[in-house]
Amino acid sequence: MKRSKSTRHYRTQILAGLALVLGLFAIAFVVWMFKLDQRITSQFEGRRWTLPAQVYAEPVELYAGLPFSADALTRELTRLGYQQVDKPERPGSFARRGARIDLINRRFRFWDALQEPQALSIITRGNAITDMRNGRGEEVPIFRLDPLLIGSIFPIHGEDRVVVTPEEVSELLPTALKVVEDRKFDSHFGVDIPAIARAAIVNVRAGQIEQGGSTLTQQLVKSYFLDNRRTFSRKIEEALMAVLLEMRFSKADLMNAYINEIYLGQDGRRAVHGFGLGSQFYFGKPLAELQLHEVALMVALVRGPSYYDPRRHPQRALERRNMVLQLMAQFEVISAEDAEQAAKRDLGVINSTGQASGYYPAFLDLVRRTLRRDYREEDLTEAGLRIFSTLNPLVQTQAELALAEELDRLEKARKQKSESPLEGVVVVTAPQNGEVIAMVGGRKASFDGFNRALDAKRSIGSLVKPVVYLAAVETGMYHAATILDDSPISVKLPNGTLWEPRNISKQTYGPVPMVRALAQSLNLATVNLGLQVGLPRVTREFVALGLEQEPPQLPAILLGAVDVSPLEVAQLYNAFANGGFSTPLRAVRSVVDAEGKPLRSFALEVTPVASPDAVYQVNRMMVEVIERGSGRSARNRIPRDIVVAGKSGTSSDYRDSWFAGFAGNQLAVVWMGHDDNSPTGLTGSSGSLAVWSRLMASTGVYSWSAPLPESLQETWVEFPTGLGAQPGCGEDTLQVAIPRGVQLPMRPGCETNRDAAQPWWQGIIGR
Amino acid sequence: MNVRSLAPSAAILLALALSACSVPEPYQAPERPIPVPELPPPVETTPVVPVPEVAEPEPLPAPVVREPTLSAASQALVRQAQIQMASNNYPVAASSIERALRIEPGNPLLWIELGKVRQAEGNYVQAENMARKAVSMAVNAPRTQSSAWALIAESLRARGRNSEAQEAQSRADGFR
Repeated sequence: MKRSKSTRHYRTQILAGLALVLGLFAIAFVVWMFKLDQRITSQFEGRRWTLPAQVYAEPVELYAGLPFSADALTRELTRLGYQQVDKPERPGSFARRGARIDLINRRFRFWDALQEPQALSIITRGNAITDMRNGRGEEVPIFRLDPLLIGSIFPIHGEDRVVVTPEEVSELLPTALKVVEDRKFDSHFGVDIPAIARAAIVNVRAGQIEQGGSTLTQQLVKSYFLDNRRTFSRKIEEALMAVLLEMRFSKADLMNAYINEIYLGQDGRRAVHGFGLGSQFYFGKPLAELQLHEVALMVALVRGPSYYDPRRHPQRALERRNMVLQLMAQFEVISAEDAEQAAKRDLGVINSTGQASGYYPAFLDLVRRTLRRDYREEDLTEAGLRIFSTLNPLVQTQAELALAEELDRLEKARKQKSESPLEGVVVVTAPQNGEVIAMVGGRKASFDGFNRALDAKRSIGSLVKPVVYLAAVETGMYHAATILDDSPISVKLPNGTLWEPRNISKQTYGPVPMVRALAQSLNLATVNLGLQVGLPRVTREFVALGLEQEPPQLPAILLGAVDVSPLEVAQLYNAFANGGFSTPLRAVRSVVDAEGKPLRSFALEVTPVASPDAVYQVNRMMVEVIERGSGRSARNRIPRDIVVAGKSGTSSDYRDSWFAGFAGNQLAVVWMGHDDNSPTGLTGSSGSLAVWSRLMASTGVYSWSAPLPESLQETWVEFPTGLGAQPGCGEDTLQVAIPRGVQLPMRPGCETNRDAAQPWWQGIIGR
Repeated sequence: MNVRSLAPSAAILLALALSACSVPEPYQAPERPIPVPELPPPVETTPVVPVPEVAEPEPLPAPVVREPTLSAASQALVRQAQIQMASNNYPVAASSIERALRIEPGNPLLWIELGKVRQAEGNYVQAENMARKAVSMAVNAPRTQSSAWALIAESLRARGRNSEAQEAQSRADGFR
């Protein structure tokens, strides 16, 4: 009795305990579900409502006189996605009849104005636009085309994505996805139990996981949390989240999220997510323009972007693509003939270094960093911020091409192979307004990694010389014909060691005029000059021209022992090209919100930082670098009638090869070297100069030209000696700009003044 | 777009366009000299092929007054900017002038126009800097020099730097 009572008592206690445990489990389960729900919903909502900031290239301005042929204009319009038709009737279309182009522009909201669609007739003659009229036959003096969209910014995820809206996706893609990946998508509640069962049987038979029974919703969940562990509890969690998502959101929303989310490949460090970016990455065009065989390939990739990588395993990719086409035909998404036709096509994938990729990570990185100074992360991810950048896609393409091809050429020509590949950078600016119009951060321009243009701080070698010479000319005691002493020098450094620099040729040249010392990049003459002028003056000049940190006042600075990034070099040289005015380099013109309200504009600012007359004199000396000095080989590419100025730079042991210089409308800085800082065996002239001159020659630059300041005069001198000369009298004569009133010692026999004054550049083009 | 095939001809064309166009500068893109026939042409038996010759060096004239002018595109943009200025919309006005400056960066008149926008919106330092940039470009163009110096004077006056302003003003008047 007592016993049974206590037994009953125990039984009650056990039951109560069980109930308690079950209750706790139930509560835990609810809490868990609640948490899962919160996680997945916030993830989904966050992605769904996060519209990335969109970045536009600089718009093309059309006006009478613009050097743009009908062919070039046709290419430009095609690139902007304008449809070529017989008679333009809708915005975004154009017609071409010989030298005449008729177009209707798209509606576009610029930062400063709304451009409504209008008809425009453009007449070209040869290589220029001669006349522009609107639909009423009125002359249009200037017209701005809608700009190219070059990318979007996702600061939080650090990824670039081309987000597509459902309207931009053809019905073919979701249908194909359903047929191949999840045939019950429209009816299941997040998980497809029969499919899981089928997969389980296959997997048990095979003894390994061969088939996944995941629905598109489950794949989406998996992608959100980037977790590839195939554990059982993981699977359960995924399945539950999928069910929760299905309860909250419509199938259309889920499909759209899937299309913008799913992982489709790897480009170096950059993960390619979403079909929008995938389309750019594999085919170099927008998703909307893909043809059937291309859509099929993208769908084929979903299952294993690296296993089916069409670049590395084209045969596998082709077989799977054709399997997808077959499935699409089988389920009557397409006709059997269409499938057959499409199966005969090549993969059609562009080269991964593809210049056509239209993806500019180095430049976008600069844009992102510019904006981070002014915006909080969340501002950038807010719906629909639009960013108007300064990128010129044509110049960018030429810069990528010139760098990639020259690097290949140089590497092939090299005798000893080095461990790390030869790398390079190109930065291009418009000197008068400081806009960065192109930027290549490495050999593989579309590689989204280390941005050498901004972060590689390298020794700049002789690129410092114009700064030293400017500091000298600004004292008023030096000019192009001043004789410098190119003879051995040794400087006792504070630590007691002796510094004994040498010329790159290992020779000395004795007395030489400044113009020659700069053109031929003579180290000893420059060190002697710099020490006379004084190191503080030189280092202050760096800061004045725009270097953020004053370099240490050490003699080695005179030969370029200062670590500077290519972008900073561009900032320094920009002050020369801009006639002694500094303007902060900028990659962004304006930022507007979704309604088109301007949030911030980066207005043009100029600051006088050096005497324009002194800068003019140094620039003229830099012209002679190209004409008679270390930049001569630029003339193999750049026509003689285009005046350009520049300077080569080589760091010790040939670790860095530099060239920086400018024409009238464009400045470019090129660097080459190894990431591990090992020697390249290249000088500035034998390496970077080739890229620089190719770029300048291929982008339609015009001459550097500045009026001779009134305080200066043109004088003939001998290049080797700096003695005063006359045209036709003296050895290797040229005109230099020196201060008015300076009397030069004349070369004996050339004293009589022959009247043969002529513009100095005729000395260049007449030779 | 294939810029490369276009570039050489575009460059020459641009050089020609520049030489013929609105901003005459003493030193601009060198043109290929046009040979001047000095004798009546001889009887030709074969088609005439223009032979590029090195021209006689032109005598450099004494400083010639060469006032800059605006191209049609720039004129339209400056007019637009003036309308925007009138409604105190300075950022947009500046943006219009900047568009013109991208087409003609070497035209001092546009730098003066941009300086005027800065002056109007109270950015006197930039107004002065723009005007100084114009001064450095307006060699042998007294009228342009004068308006640039007048703007410098105005920006200095606005900052209460009256003696410097007076000096700048007298330079402006000196060019008149």
